[in-house]
Amino acid sequence: MSDRAENLLLALPGLLLLALAFFLPIGQMMLLSLSGPDGPTLEHFARFLGDSYYLGILWRTVRLSLIITAICAVIGFPLAYIMARVGPRLRMWLVIAVILPLMTSVVVRTFGWMVLLSRSGLVPELLRDMGLVGRSFGLMQTETAIVIGMVQVLLPFMTLSILGVVTRIEIRLEEAARTMGCSFLQTMRAVVLPLSLPGIVAGSLLVFTLSASSFVTPNLLGGARIQVLASSIYKSVTQSLEWPFAAAQAVILFVGILLVLVPYIRLSGARHG
Amino acid sequence: MVRSVPGWLRVAAIVFIAATLIVLLAPLIVVIGASVSESQFISFPPQNFSLRWYAAVLSSSAYLSAALISLQIALAVTVTATLVGGAAAIALHRRQLPGSEVLATLFLSPLVLPTIIYAIGMLMFWSATFGPVSPVVLWLGHSVIALPYVVRTTLAVLSESDPALEEAARTMGANRLQRLWLVVVPQCLPGLAAGAFFAFNISFDEAVLSLFLRKPGLTTLPVQIYGQLEFSPDPSVAAVSSLMIAITVVLILVIDRMLGLKRVASV
Repeated sequence: MSDRAENLLLALPGLLLLALAFFLPIGQMMLLSLSGPDGPTLEHFARFLGDSYYLGILWRTVRLSLIITAICAVIGFPLAYIMARVGPRLRMWLVIAVILPLMTSVVVRTFGWMVLLSRSGLVPELLRDMGLVGRSFGLMQTETAIVIGMVQVLLPFMTLSILGVVTRIEIRLEEAARTMGCSFLQTMRAVVLPLSLPGIVAGSLLVFTLSASSFVTPNLLGGARIQVLASSIYKSVTQSLEWPFAAAQAVILFVGILLVLVPYIRLSGARHG
Repeated sequence: MVRSVPGWLRVAAIVFIAATLIVLLAPLIVVIGASVSESQFISFPPQNFSLRWYAAVLSSSAYLSAALISLQIALAVTVTATLVGGAAAIALHRRQLPGSEVLATLFLSPLVLPTIIYAIGMLMFWSATFGPVSPVVLWLGHSVIALPYVVRTTLAVLSESDPALEEAARTMGANRLQRLWLVVVPQCLPGLAAGAFFAFNISFDEAVLSLFLRKPGLTTLPVQIYGQLEFSPDPSVAAVSSLMIAITVVLILVIDRMLGLKRVASV
């Protein structure tokens, strides 16, 4: 047996698992999105893209994902920077505080927000006590609730993406900038931020992708009225049982995400090659 | 460097960190707080400490059977993903296969594809090909989602290993199986172990795939919780959720022992 045969043997179970339980199902789903009663058809796509109701869902998905990504980046960058520059003990605790929610089930975290945001929950009550909102104010079943919940769910991904890059920035570069007369904020703008950009971009892509396709949090916090693409897919699968239409929506989601991802992979590939 | 940071900025940083930590941890704290409340309804801050909802969970057949299914699937997934992913990582690390870059991308691709798209594919493929959804489908699906994590943790450990060791074993006359079992696998162990705990956690917490593939008698714990939240949340949901948080804490501590959280965080 050659070395190559040994390695092939080692990789084979994984390749088989991926082929049978990953690529085949996805291929089948893509075929189904094109299937009609009389052969291949584009009618499921036409139905989605020709209906203002579904276009509204698509637009809401994109809009909320952009807002969530932007908020995550604005919070995630300073958080990652501080994590990279504090002492090792504090950093350890901060890493735990970021990873613990990341590894907790999305259902459980969303449940926590349902308790916090409901009419008698802590957040509306605090706002009421501060006199900012009226008596009947509630946050559940609003887009705001979705954004709050999703930011908490996805912030760890952004923070860890940026942290990986920031920890590799030479601290001497910052010291040099300070010696040359930059203020702290100028150093951030001229040195740290540009060098962190790969991490911010990678984190943003990850957060955008995950938030465009997330289902549990928008469905529980937004309710049936505020649909996003993922909850519309779920509805087509479980309630109206229109599988080809659900498959077409999944393909639209996938293509949308690829449109965002491919230029980035091209760019970063060109940089490495 | 830090000394020359203006004082107001340091105060701002402390306030910012505190606020961010509160937002990150609030949902977990609220769930745990609500679980020990005496009240009939979900309430935070809790009213009168009581463990009655934990007792309710432990005597509820719906929760117990869901927990049993989740546990069985998670254990099967852990074994599968660790063996299959670990072997693949060893092969990928040696970089002798044709197109090993492409292969590496293939093995990590389940990370990139949104779970909801994958879930639809699994539902349609298996029910069209083999009839009703069975635990086997959940086992395979969770294994695919967990696979990249094992591959990544094992590759991370292998990248710091010494290739000369295997060469030394070869010159000393060890055959393939001996080299693999006595030299390579022991070097992988921390990565394999961390990957195994990741796999368990991912399978145990996975909701979307299980929601799409659910049917009567095949309810995992996250699906059970999701159903309760949609229709009739009571404090017993908080108790179950708190137990799941506790399991996560234990797994994080174990992974930290195996691989070091700092390494995991920057992988």
